[in-house]
Amino acid sequence: MDLLTKFRFVIACLFAEYAVTFIPVANCSIYPSEMSGDSASKLPSAAAIPVAQASTLGSFYSLSLQSTFPEDLEVDEYCVELLRVYRQRYVTFANCLVTYARPVKICQNCYTGFNSLDDIYKNISSDQLGPGNVTCHDSLMRSDRMMLLFTLYNNLQDIWTSAKCSKCLTEHQEALMNDTVYFMATLNQSLSCFEQYQNHTELCKDCKASYKRLNELYGRMEKNQTLCIDLEDAMNMTQQLWSKTYYCLLPREETVPVIAVSSFMLFLPVIFYLSSFLHSEQKKRKLIHPKRAKSSSSLMNIQDKFS
Amino acid sequence: MANITKKVSWSSRGDDRGERTPLLNGAEEAKYNKQDIVRSRPKEIPHNEKLLSLKYESLDYDNSENQLFLEEERRMSHMPIAAGSGIPQIKCYLNGVKIPRVVRLKTLAIKVFGVICSVAGGLAVGKEGPMIHSGAVVAAGVSQGRSTSLKKDFKIFEYFRRDTEKRDFVSAGAAAGVSAAFGAPVGGVLFSLEEGASFWNQMLTWRIFFASMISTFTLNFFLSIYHGKPGQLSSPGLINFGRFDGDSVQYNLYEIPLFIIMGALGGMLGALFNVINYWLTIFRIRYVHRPCLQVMEAMLVAAVTATVSFAMIYFSNDCQPLGQDSTEEYPLQLFCADGEYNSMATAFFNTPERSVRSLFHNPPGTYNPITLGLFTLAYFFLAVWTYGLTVSAGVFIPSLLIGAAWGRLFGILLSYIASSQSIWADPGKYALIGAAAQLGGIVRMTLSLTVILVEATGNVTYGFPIMLVLMTAKIVGDYFIEGLYDIHIKLQSVPFLHWEAPPTSHWLTAREVMSSPVTCFNRVEKVGRIVDVLSNTSTIHNGFPVVVDTTDNDDEPGKICGLILRSQLIVLLKHKVFVERASSRLSQRRLQLKDFRDAYPRFPPIQSIHVSQDERECMMDLTEFMNPTPYTVPQETSLPRVFKLFRALGLRHLVVVDNENRVVGLVTRKDLARYHVGKDGLEELHLAQT
Repeated sequence: MDLLTKFRFVIACLFAEYAVTFIPVANCSIYPSEMSGDSASKLPSAAAIPVAQASTLGSFYSLSLQSTFPEDLEVDEYCVELLRVYRQRYVTFANCLVTYARPVKICQNCYTGFNSLDDIYKNISSDQLGPGNVTCHDSLMRSDRMMLLFTLYNNLQDIWTSAKCSKCLTEHQEALMNDTVYFMATLNQSLSCFEQYQNHTELCKDCKASYKRLNELYGRMEKNQTLCIDLEDAMNMTQQLWSKTYYCLLPREETVPVIAVSSFMLFLPVIFYLSSFLHSEQKKRKLIHPKRAKSSSSLMNIQDKFS
Repeated sequence: MANITKKVSWSSRGDDRGERTPLLNGAEEAKYNKQDIVRSRPKEIPHNEKLLSLKYESLDYDNSENQLFLEEERRMSHMPIAAGSGIPQIKCYLNGVKIPRVVRLKTLAIKVFGVICSVAGGLAVGKEGPMIHSGAVVAAGVSQGRSTSLKKDFKIFEYFRRDTEKRDFVSAGAAAGVSAAFGAPVGGVLFSLEEGASFWNQMLTWRIFFASMISTFTLNFFLSIYHGKPGQLSSPGLINFGRFDGDSVQYNLYEIPLFIIMGALGGMLGALFNVINYWLTIFRIRYVHRPCLQVMEAMLVAAVTATVSFAMIYFSNDCQPLGQDSTEEYPLQLFCADGEYNSMATAFFNTPERSVRSLFHNPPGTYNPITLGLFTLAYFFLAVWTYGLTVSAGVFIPSLLIGAAWGRLFGILLSYIASSQSIWADPGKYALIGAAAQLGGIVRMTLSLTVILVEATGNVTYGFPIMLVLMTAKIVGDYFIEGLYDIHIKLQSVPFLHWEAPPTSHWLTAREVMSSPVTCFNRVEKVGRIVDVLSNTSTIHNGFPVVVDTTDNDDEPGKICGLILRSQLIVLLKHKVFVERASSRLSQRRLQLKDFRDAYPRFPPIQSIHVSQDERECMMDLTEFMNPTPYTVPQETSLPRVFKLFRALGLRHLVVVDNENRVVGLVTRKDLARYHVGKDGLEELHLAQT
């Protein structure tokens, strides 16, 4: 009977593998209830489930793989629960990131998601003993070469760190800082000013004050290092609007004086060299004729050649 | 003699029973004739390490310059090879020429202050030449254990108060200067080798290497303090070109012809640089020779440099967006949009080292070709104009910058032409090759420059292309004109002796080269005559042959018995070492070598020695103070032989004698240095008062 069980298991596995590859979101969770004994009879039905259920977010595909493994290698119920929570929060956060990817607004909108993900990750990776006296750190995170939980979290954390979102948020990332809010308000002011005018030259003149205020605020915040990607991107877009779209740049006004002064300066060395050529005495060198002996007649004296 | 025969025996493989070795026993042959026929059989001993074998023959590097040799030489013709490398004054000093004030403390102070001001002032100059010179001055000063300018004598290192020792220290100092400037200790050693090789010996190599290493360590330490991380020794050189990352460093075989083309281009541009600078320097020496004019010229050059930079920045339209971790420390916006900076301003406001580093390492696409081209052109002419001004400045960094700029342009051009291939996508490599080509084209150094660049960029992979490029640049450049430093040495009219005598000059003998007649002194000479000869301002002689007293006619020159120097005579006159005072001198202190060393290097002039009328009638015995065995040559010696002897031994005076050992002439450096190979064969330079 065991051999038959194993054979059916293998066929089911093959079907399972085939089905799993078509699921876009890897939502596999180990279902701890079906284990040790009954699972053999449940396998064929389990193999039929995944295709229908896999597409909906939040559903899971139960793979009772561990039914064939001995009990020591099975993952604890508690850890499986933790894993499920992790999956949920991860998906939420990733979704939020992509939603607010362009224009970049992730710091303002996704910080709650990040906090909760961070929370569950710390929970999993802590070495506390859960019910049943097991730690999930090793079994979930360090059991295979890929270390997916660790890698996925790290990637998201790197994104968060390089976005410098912590600069815009308060101490424990509960809310936006006052400076950030103030900046966004100033930005909105400028943008609304831009929308009022159609004529570009008028726009350049009238909105100059608010734009200048915005720039100064941005410069101050840059010096204090309280900038995150949201603010940088917003500022960048505003600057592009101002310079490229509305073409409000500083014009070159003083071309003629610059050319005049440059030509004068370039002309000075010519005058200097000419005057030193004409007025200074050319430095002459007094030749000295040293005493030389007369040579014998058989050899030619080089001085006879040159004298 | 008997002692020697006991310690070292001549062992012979041949049968020599009964045969005495004539060499050792020749002096005592008469004694041994009768008694020792039986005892004359040579002793036989078992083999040990204290033997010399007769079977080994020696090699002979000497030429037998007989008539046949001279005939053959008349038939041959040689191509002139111009030598060229080095920093002019140090090179001259290591060559053996006493350049006035080259290793003085005042020179060091002014040089350091000057180079700080000229580099900070934004002139198109570098600071390596002054650093090498400063290193040499420090070495020369420290080795003497005293300072004449500060009038302090620490009474140490008295053994080193001689020209030979000082010269060795100056070599070490120059090497240490190079090592500190570029972070290239081995390059520094090779630089000294390329300059002073004829006075080289094995011990000197290791001492100079040691000095270079200590120099780079000291710089590293102080720079680490300056950067705020004391003890973290990461910057071995003052000039940092950035490290070429080992993984991405590579070049392909099909790029080697391209490198050679770049080398030729560098040689031609370098020759152009040298030609323009040559005419400019001639003009400056002839017409701009008053000090106030020279200062005015320097100020004008600075003003024009600033004007040109400003005008180019003002009219440039090239704007680059500000990067995230901006590599530019002080970006200038000027007329660009917000969030962009003017890249022409960056090129001009960065220090040249920073620019070179950016050119080597910035990713492709950072530079606009037109901006780069205009900048190269402007900087080239500014650098040509600036070198040779009376400011402390070098030419290494400006030429590296010019070369890196056009090298990078070359790389960008290549990537436009062959747009599909990714290997062209590294213009930084071409920037490095271009920099090497341009520098080689201007200064024509090969060996030491290769090693300096390899060490400064930290990668041996590019060593072979760099060497190829430098050799090509030298060959192409030498076809047009000499290296920049050699031009300036020539224009300063320094009597510089090259490695070898001019080829096909064996027909010139010592008789034509020497100065004659020579002012000689008798062995016991009248003080009045000595003072008159030394005070004669029309001929400044420094060495006087000492001849056996000629009692009869003065026409016949005397037989040589020694050589005495002006400096020694002055010390003798100062201490009033006269024959008549010999008796009273016994109670006084006897003159020692220390007294002569104390007066080195700046001996008092003859005008400061006061000799009364009575003292003029006294006699001075030169026998114990003169050099009793000066080097002499027969008057038929050919010029190359005289040259080789003079150069290899580092002589200052070489006495020419006839076949009866009478003094007929004296050969000095100026007599030898006037022969060199010009466009139409052997030329003679004229002596002049400058």
